[in-house]
Amino acid sequence: MQIVLNILVLGSIYSLISCGYVIIYKVSRVLNLAHGELMMVGAYLLLTTASAGWLGSPLAAIGLALVLSLTVGILVYVLLMRRMTGESVLAAVLTTIALGILIRGAVVLLWSAQHHYPATKLHIANPSIELFQNAKLSLISLILIGVTVATYAALFAFMRFGRWGLRMRATGQNALLAAQRGVNLHAVYALAWGISTFTGAVAGMLIALDSGLDSTIVMIGLKAFPAALVGGLDSLAGAIIGSIIISASEVILIQHFNPLLSDAVPFLILIAMLVIRPWGLFGTREELDRV
Amino acid sequence: MTIKTFAVAAAISASLSMTAAAQDVVIGLSGALTGPSAGSYAPAIEGIRLYVDKVNAGGGVAGRKIKLIILDDQGEASKGAANATKLISQDNVSLLINSSLSSTFAPMIAATGQAGIPLLFAASACPKEVYPPANPLLFCTTAFASKFDSQATLDFITKSGGNVSLGLVAMAIPISRSEIESAEGLATVKGMKVADKAIIPPPTPDYTPFATKLSAAGANWVYAWAPWVTQVRTFEGLRKIGWNGRYIAWAHLESESELARLKDPALYAIGANALFAQDLPVQREMQATAKAAGATYPASQMTEGWIAGMVLEAALGKAGPNADAKAIQAAMQSLSVDTKGLRGGPIEWTAANHFRTRQFYRIYRWAPTSSAIEVVQDWTAYDVK
Repeated sequence: MQIVLNILVLGSIYSLISCGYVIIYKVSRVLNLAHGELMMVGAYLLLTTASAGWLGSPLAAIGLALVLSLTVGILVYVLLMRRMTGESVLAAVLTTIALGILIRGAVVLLWSAQHHYPATKLHIANPSIELFQNAKLSLISLILIGVTVATYAALFAFMRFGRWGLRMRATGQNALLAAQRGVNLHAVYALAWGISTFTGAVAGMLIALDSGLDSTIVMIGLKAFPAALVGGLDSLAGAIIGSIIISASEVILIQHFNPLLSDAVPFLILIAMLVIRPWGLFGTREELDRV
Repeated sequence: MTIKTFAVAAAISASLSMTAAAQDVVIGLSGALTGPSAGSYAPAIEGIRLYVDKVNAGGGVAGRKIKLIILDDQGEASKGAANATKLISQDNVSLLINSSLSSTFAPMIAATGQAGIPLLFAASACPKEVYPPANPLLFCTTAFASKFDSQATLDFITKSGGNVSLGLVAMAIPISRSEIESAEGLATVKGMKVADKAIIPPPTPDYTPFATKLSAAGANWVYAWAPWVTQVRTFEGLRKIGWNGRYIAWAHLESESELARLKDPALYAIGANALFAQDLPVQREMQATAKAAGATYPASQMTEGWIAGMVLEAALGKAGPNADAKAIQAAMQSLSVDTKGLRGGPIEWTAANHFRTRQFYRIYRWAPTSSAIEVVQDWTAYDVK
C-alpha cells in the first residue's frame, strides 16, 4: 500500500505542475519552458508572505502568495508574451527560455541560495498519518492529493461551463475566428498565463511546505514536462494520466529495480511516446501538426 | 587651483594609487555563487570575503592589503575555466581559490598548473591530488575528506552497539557515490550488514519512495554522505513513513540550524567543524563581523570560508612582503594554522600532504532534555598518511 501512496503523491505533484503546461499550450500553442521557474516564484512568494509578520495567520500568507502568483502570471503575459503575438511559436518558446534563465538568477539574488522552510515560519505541523496498515504519508502530502483533485475538478468545470473557459477553448481552436466573434484574445491569453502560474505556484508551495525550498525546485518543473507530453499537451485529462504513468514507473523502478533509472525513465517514456504517438495519449493529432 | 596645479595633484594622486595597487596581493576566487548548488558554497564564499575585509581593515598582511576578486561560475565547468583564465591572465592573481562543484576542478587545475599558481580548494571537495603525495600547487582546507569521513562514521556506528543493518544514501553525483561505495566496502570489512543503498538523483520531487525502499530493506541505521538536501529529505522521508531507526549524516553548513529545526535525537551529524552551539570566541567574532557587514548568510554557515581566510592570512604572512605566486606556494608547502577551535586541531600542511596531517571528527545531535545541540562524541583524530 505504501507504494500506491507514493505513486499517488508523486503523481499529484506532476499533475499539478503539468496542468500549467497544458493550459497555456491549449489556449495559445506556446510551450512555456519557464513553467518550472514560475512555480519556483510562487513558492518563494509564499516564503516572503510567511516571513511577513503582519499577516497574522498561515491562511492569509498562503492566500496572499496565491494572489501574487496569479498576478505574476498575468504580468508575464502583459509585459512580455503579449509582444510575441504574431511572432512565430518558436520565438515565443525561446522567450520563455530566456524568462526562465532570468527568473533563476533573480531568485538567488532576491532570496539567496539558502534552504528555507516556509512551514516552520508559518508554524504548520506536518505529522505522519497512517492511512492504511503500514502505509503512511505526511499531512501536507495528503493535502497535496486533495488539492490536485480539487484543482482539476475546478479546471474541468471552468473549461466546460464557465464563460471564460468557453472563450479559452474557442481561442485554442481558432484564435482568428474567436477574435472575429468578439473574444478579447489578450484577456484570454493573460488569464491562461495567470491560471497556469497559479496552479504551478500551488504545486511549488505545497512542495516547499512539505520538504523545504531552495532553487533546485525548478528542476521538478522540468520533470513534470514529460508527463504533460505523454498525456497530450492539449488535454487536461491526459496530464493526469501521463503523470500517473510517469510516477508509477519511477516509484516501481526505485522499489524493485535501480533507483537511478527513475531519473531517466520519464524521458525514455517520452521518447517512446514521441515515436509511437507524437501527439500523446489524449492529445489532438492536428493540433500537434501545427507545431 | 590652476589647471597646472590640478594636473600635478592628479598625477601625484594617480601615482600614489598605482603604488598602492601594486602593493596589493591579488587573490582570485571562482565559486558557485548562483546556480542549483549555490546553497553549499555561497555562504562559505561570503565567509572568505568577510575574513579578507577584516584583515584589510586591520592593515592587511605583511604590510599589504588583499584584493579578493570573486567570480561566479554557477558550478559549471566552462564558466570555471573562463574565470580561471581571466583571473590568471588579466588580473594577475597570485593565488586562486575554488569554491565550487567538482566539475570545475579539471579546467582550473589545468589553468593554474600551466601558470604555476597555487590553487586552494575551500568549501569544495578536496581532490585526490591534495592527499599524500600531494601535487605541489594544490591545497585544500575543506572539512570533509574522502574515505576518512566514512571510516569515522562507521567507527561511531560500531561503537553504538547492537545489530546494525545499515542503509546507505548518496546523491547521484560522482563524489557522493564513490564515498558511499567506499563506505559499503568498509562496512562489509567491519562485519556490518548492508541492508540497502539508495543513490538518489538530484532533481527528486519526493524522497519517500527512496525512504520506503530503505525502510523495507530493514535498515536500522542509515548513513548519508551527500549534499545536505539529499541527506535531510531522505531522513524526513523515512520519518514520514514511520521509520524509527538512527540516521547519521555529514554535518554540512546547514546542519546546525537543521538539527534545531528537526529536534530528532536519533539524527546525528558528523563533521570536522565546530558548531556554533559551542559559542567559541572566534564564533562570536564571526557573528559580530557578519552582523556588522549585513551578511546575506548566517555566520554559522560561514565556518568553511572563515577557516580558508585564516589559512590564506597565514600563508601570505609567511610568504612575507612583496611575495609572488611562487613565494606563496613555497610558504604553503609547510604551514600550521591554529583554527581557534573551529576544527579539532590545527591545519598542518607538509610538502607531501596538502590536505592536513590529522583529521578530527565530532558528532552532534539534538538533545530533547536540554533542548539544545549536544556533543555525542568529542573530537576524534585520524592520521592522514
